[in-house]
Amino acid sequence: MSEINKKSLEHLAELARLELGKKEEDKFLKDLEKILSHFKELQSLNTENVQPLAGGTWSNNVLREDGATKQSLGPDKVAEAFPDKEKHWLRVPPVFEE
Amino acid sequence: MHLHDLTIKKFHEGLLKKEFSALEVVEGFFKHVEEHDKKIGAFLSLAKDEAALQAEKADLVIAKGEPVDLLAGAPLAIKDNILIEGQPATAASKILEDYNAAYDATVIAKLKKSGAVFLGKTNMDEFAMGSSTENSAFKVTKNPHDHTRVPGGSSGGSAAAVAAHMAVGALGSDTGGSIRQPAGFCGVVGLKPTYGAVSRHGLIAMASSLDQIGPLTKTVEDAAILFKSISGKDQFDSTTMEAKYGDELLNPKLQDIKKLKVGVPKEYFVDGLSPEVKKATDKAMADLKSLGLEFKEISLPHTQYALSCYYIIMPAEVSSNLARFDGIRYGRIQEKESSLAELYKKNKSRGFGAETKRRIILGTFVLSSGYYDAYYSQAQKARRLIKEDFDKAFKEVDVIFTPVAPTPAFKIGEKADDPMAMYLSDIFTIPVNLAGLPAVSIPTRGIDGLPVGFQLVGKPWREADILGLGQYYDKIHNAVD
Repeated sequence: MSEINKKSLEHLAELARLELGKKEEDKFLKDLEKILSHFKELQSLNTENVQPLAGGTWSNNVLREDGATKQSLGPDKVAEAFPDKEKHWLRVPPVFEE
Repeated sequence: MHLHDLTIKKFHEGLLKKEFSALEVVEGFFKHVEEHDKKIGAFLSLAKDEAALQAEKADLVIAKGEPVDLLAGAPLAIKDNILIEGQPATAASKILEDYNAAYDATVIAKLKKSGAVFLGKTNMDEFAMGSSTENSAFKVTKNPHDHTRVPGGSSGGSAAAVAAHMAVGALGSDTGGSIRQPAGFCGVVGLKPTYGAVSRHGLIAMASSLDQIGPLTKTVEDAAILFKSISGKDQFDSTTMEAKYGDELLNPKLQDIKKLKVGVPKEYFVDGLSPEVKKATDKAMADLKSLGLEFKEISLPHTQYALSCYYIIMPAEVSSNLARFDGIRYGRIQEKESSLAELYKKNKSRGFGAETKRRIILGTFVLSSGYYDAYYSQAQKARRLIKEDFDKAFKEVDVIFTPVAPTPAFKIGEKADDPMAMYLSDIFTIPVNLAGLPAVSIPTRGIDGLPVGFQLVGKPWREADILGLGQYYDKIHNAVD
């Protein structure tokens, strides 16, 4: 199964905003081929009329009042974890390119 | 009392009898960590000052003669993907190397209320992705029973800390076996609770439909104590539910335990099980039978599809969850002048390790148009069939008995370059996460050589069954050993 080749791997990496080195690319191609060939068995499983199961949760439609939760952190607290800040604002690099 | 002998329960009793103070024990643990953790590598960071303060608080309450929780003053180790306010939370990733948590995870807030003490944060596979703790960006943790072997993973630091007597108990997280497999490899008890029993708020998410936080301890009773303390409905995690865990969790009655029917799935006892695991699980089964329980063979026919199903669903969720680590809000390891797109790429490429990148790529692939139906959708359907296998089995039995892993702890480096071989070490634990069930890994007592765990899987919200049975198993051996 060669659904992932060098070209499609590069495309996937671009979508995921990853840069892969040459050696990394070669290793990933080999690994992914092995992993995907293991998935073949799953594709032979008959799942006609089976509904997909998204998660292990037993709850449905958990609703709450539309308002602020009681214990939200203030902006100063949140800002403590920012990598770069001014007062309680997150400083980001320039977004618009020339 | 020697640190080696301390369990949560014994620590509590000693504290009440004033045999020692919490501060003395905490200082003793830090001394032990200083002497031994150079060799083991269980901890990524220590919180000496905060721990001493927490311990003094517990001592003060006891000195006043006020009632205290079972966990008051208890020195615990916490996996580094669980947030403690003001402390590092790296998830063993370079991308979070300088990150400090702004708030407490719900489990931490609950434990603080109980008066527990946090010694530090433990090593793990990066973002909990791995089965050996070798994927940590910072260090390799060694198995305390044999330093040439892995402690298992991803909660390898937590398991090693408890096994090497560097904490009385620990918290880990389990997405496909990351509490139970390292517990098995290190000879400690590890519980993966029912999905929704414990809040994931403040756990750095890996695969949200599978992740659960749970305890790693020396005895099953201690696991029950920690589980009781951290479980419950939480407004910050809408998948949590309030389960009624009464007295049976900590004080199971033998007459109730004897009534449990135990199923042994034939699909789990096939070729590929190492002789050590076969021998140990046979022994554990014989000991459990001596309690007078009925055992019967059952079938979980879709077991063979679980690994593929998991390695599609989990990376899909990973690729989505890890998108947030873009170098903007969390760690940033990049010069400032480049463009935004460059900043994303540079941060992710330099910040993530190989396994993390591999899973992000795989997840991006299975969710991409053209492949979604063949992979992701098919895996979700298989997930239902796997869950229905368990539903059917639980009409006949109350508890399911299986091995934890196909082999005991493997050598460091043995599987590091072969992801598929590494993935196979979780083959017996993965189906439990897909079905959202509770399961406990218990070290087989009374065997020679490397530790081997066995697994008890329970019905949803029936932690009391597996922990109750486990507590009676431990009792047999306290009498025998």
